[in-house]
Amino acid sequence: MSESQLLTEHYHKDTYKSLKGYQADGGYEVLKKAFKMEPQAIIDEVKASGLRGRGGAGFPTGVKWGFLPRNDETRYLLCNADEGEPGTFKDRMMMERAPHQLIEGMIISAFAINSPKSYIYIRGEYDQCIETVTAAIKEAYDAGLLGENILGSGFKHDMDVYYGAGAYICGDETGMISSLEGLKGQPKLKPPFPAVQGYLKKPTIVNNVETLAAVIPIIDKGAEAYKAIGTEKSSGTKLFSVSGCVEKAGNFEVPLGYPLMDLIELAGGLRPGRKLKAVIPGGSSAPVLTAEECLTAKMDYEDLSAKGSMLGSGAVMVIDDSQNMVDLLGVIMHFYHHESCGQCTPCREGTGWLSKMVHSILEGKGRIADLDLILKVANQMKGKTICALSDAAALPALSFVTKFRDEFEDYIKRGHQYAAEALHV
Amino acid sequence: MFKCTINGHEVEVPEGASVIEAFKLLKEDIAHYCWHPGLSIAGVCRLCMVQIDDGPRLHIACNTLVKDGMKITNQTEVVKEAVRWGMDFHLINHPLDCPICDQAGECGLQEQYMKYGQYDSSMAEKKVKKRKVVDLGERVVLDSERCILCSRCVRFTDEVTKTNELGIFNRGDHSEIGTFEDQPLDNKYSLNTVDICPVGALTSKDFRFQQRVWYLKDTDSICTGCSTGCSIKVYHNKEGLFRVKPVFNEKVNGHWMCDEGRDLYKHVNAPVRLKQILKSVGNEWFPLGLERALDHLNEAFSKAENISVLITAQHTVEEYKALKNWAQQLQDKTINFVYWKNNPESFDSFDGLLIRGDKNPNTKGLLEAGFEFADASVLDSSDLVLAPMPENPAVYPKYMEKLEQLSKLQTQLCLLSVSNITQHETINFADGTLAIPMKTAFEKAGHFINHQGLTQKIHKGRVIVKAALGLDELLQAIKIGKWIQPQLLKSRKTNESSKVSGELW
Ligand SMILES: Cc1cc2nc3c(=O)[nH]c(=O)nc-3n(C[C@H](O)[C@H](O)[C@H](O)COP(=O)(O)O)c2cc1C
Ligand code: SF4
Ligand code: SF4
Ligand code: SF4
Ligand code: FES
Repeated sequence: MSESQLLTEHYHKDTYKSLKGYQADGGYEVLKKAFKMEPQAIIDEVKASGLRGRGGAGFPTGVKWGFLPRNDETRYLLCNADEGEPGTFKDRMMMERAPHQLIEGMIISAFAINSPKSYIYIRGEYDQCIETVTAAIKEAYDAGLLGENILGSGFKHDMDVYYGAGAYICGDETGMISSLEGLKGQPKLKPPFPAVQGYLKKPTIVNNVETLAAVIPIIDKGAEAYKAIGTEKSSGTKLFSVSGCVEKAGNFEVPLGYPLMDLIELAGGLRPGRKLKAVIPGGSSAPVLTAEECLTAKMDYEDLSAKGSMLGSGAVMVIDDSQNMVDLLGVIMHFYHHESCGQCTPCREGTGWLSKMVHSILEGKGRIADLDLILKVANQMKGKTICALSDAAALPALSFVTKFRDEFEDYIKRGHQYAAEALHV
Repeated sequence: MFKCTINGHEVEVPEGASVIEAFKLLKEDIAHYCWHPGLSIAGVCRLCMVQIDDGPRLHIACNTLVKDGMKITNQTEVVKEAVRWGMDFHLINHPLDCPICDQAGECGLQEQYMKYGQYDSSMAEKKVKKRKVVDLGERVVLDSERCILCSRCVRFTDEVTKTNELGIFNRGDHSEIGTFEDQPLDNKYSLNTVDICPVGALTSKDFRFQQRVWYLKDTDSICTGCSTGCSIKVYHNKEGLFRVKPVFNEKVNGHWMCDEGRDLYKHVNAPVRLKQILKSVGNEWFPLGLERALDHLNEAFSKAENISVLITAQHTVEEYKALKNWAQQLQDKTINFVYWKNNPESFDSFDGLLIRGDKNPNTKGLLEAGFEFADASVLDSSDLVLAPMPENPAVYPKYMEKLEQLSKLQTQLCLLSVSNITQHETINFADGTLAIPMKTAFEKAGHFINHQGLTQKIHKGRVIVKAALGLDELLQAIKIGKWIQPQLLKSRKTNESSKVSGELW
């Protein structure tokens, strides 16, 4: 398995957190290698590796970096450590266990795109991460790994931690930029895109924690070697946060293309006597897969998209036959209703409407006709808004109601009974 | 210039124009709430959907630039369906009690719903409750439940006045417009937010629930509040004037006007007006019949050797011309023109947006009329002072002080006044002083020349005081010795013998 542990190989060691421990296991050696390369060569290498963003949208990282205007305007690198997608807890582990890995990945990336300043935007509830990363940045400054003339390369880079107040919407890249600018955390209208006009109206690259860390093995082993891992179109490894109805929930790094059922086995498998009902493969925004679809599902961008879902943030939520799909959709809809920033009318009104309809069903007041209305409303929320939150709310609603319609109809018919049972729990 | 086609029609637009601007140029229908040509693009209502070059994706027209050769449509089923749903998303939490809403009749929601919506809302769930009567500041009230969160009002205070009083508080469908503690919406342009609010969420304290808008007529005019000369519409019916709104004028005021300008209809309405010709005797006012008034005028003007005209820049180009002609015909008398500038210290001030210290609509018009102005000291030695008064004496306090001084000298005055001057408490007018009702700018036609030198037209709207005269009409009567339209003047019933002091109406 070790060839697939490009990032997490040393995570079990307590020492890996500290600069000394990290360096003892080869830390910051790749940075030295990177400084001997031309910045453009690093970008080319990342492009050639096929690395795709690990934050959710899966956009090719090298291509995104290539969107930066070719001028000498100040540009910013922002690390998205907001990790708000329900079910996702991989960035947290990365920051707690290996803060220097993130910092090294960021310095290499900043060098590649010639950015003098970066921020790590950490989810407000992640106290521990804020503490470890802040301490690690200080260590790095003290060791000359940040600041002026890093390791004698002539490259200057400053890094800072910033944290949100727990709003999911600040995980969207332009929502994050607004928040960082001291504005209300809500996404900005595009175009202009951040690579052209982002933080403080300057060209800005936003990447996820895992994406930035993945730059290290790419520069270390070369694009070819990285591409050899995973599938043709999904190269490299990915951290999956497996949770829900499994014996040993946790984070697992596997090559992309790994069979979903094997991943569930890595997480200890289902609880005794339980049957798999469904899996949400990429965070709560990803359309749910039925047990049957799971049997052949591979954890990569193309296979999940062929099945009408997505890899998203890599949060695998396993649902067994003890769970009720209406309950689960109720929780998910409540979340998006609560988190919509409210700018765009279809999202502001649609998330509330969907949540109210699902909760009516949960309260035993549902009508069969509501199911079609849920589908219609959700369909009209897709692809019509400033950011993807509206789609993120619509997709689970569509997939839950379409794929588990019997269960919803049954709930509506026997609604009072279910609602009463729910009250007794 | 770029060429593009919109719903099959070709149109040329300047480079850098947005798709929605191209629609507007072509006068092609497109639904929209948040876009406003005077504000930045918010892109939040998501109604202005179009498809481009037959692509499947929907784009918002307000944030898409036209490219040469672009093919744009909003007539496909996909777009129409999206717009119908967009309307429904706007309406599910809207009160829909139009019969009791002040905006009814000029509501963007009603209008666009009739065009693009028209089906029953399918939401069975309870609507979100929000605050109903929120006092935002001196002039504006908010009904949060009617607000569709288009953010126009917020952008106005951020971008136009740069006073930043308004913000959207909370998130999601609990978002609400509001002000920060102790920072009410009190800028000098606050009522523009009411104009641009597409629904009945923001209302003007002055106008709300006064009139149903379909019972009002409107007349185009120019604001007389300062030398900027904003283009306006005045709304009125037989009960009087009710409100003033700005009209887009690219060269002068853009989309906006100031709050003070909106108050200027108030001095036009009947209760504060002088409605008949009065004469002061022994510090009391007596109404004069038409014949007697004319006799008086003729007598006064023929007796006086030394006449002064105390003129302000509040009259029309046409009236100044008449004044000049009139004076030229009285060669045997000394006629002095005294140009009264009320506030020389702040006369040239400008707030950077619209408001100017020169509180007259026609300063350029007066200066270009070719008068030779005399020093104000000549007033003290005049036998008769003709005083075509500023329309709204409240903003001209020094003019009133001057009249008071002259009255103390027992100088005979011939006042042409909009306001009921006889109510003035501290002035003891000299015997023989005449007060003649004057037309306001809304009751006459003519031209003003604003500070830029732009000649702008005012239109005759509703006549509130039938007996009122323009300066030109008064001079004509004096000149030819008869009233021009006696039938109009006569229509006010007056009881010649009764003494009227105090309330006139
Ligand atoms: C509502 C919303 C929430 C998001 N939350 C996160 C997040 O918590 N972390 C993250 O990395 N990306 C998040 N994203 C995706 C980011 O917008 C962006 O695509 C990503 O940070 C880019 O980095 P990557 O290319 O390395 O994945 C979110 C997107 C949306 C629309
Ligand atoms: S889609 Fe929703 S969350 Fe995203 S910007 Fe619009 S209203 Fe805000
Ligand atoms: S109050 Fe009116 S202008 Fe302001 S956001 Fe609401 S609807 Fe728009
Ligand atoms: S700026 Fe001057 S002209 Fe314009 S509305 Fe105000 S007072 Fe009238
Ligand atoms: S007018 Fe374009 S989104 Fe509102």
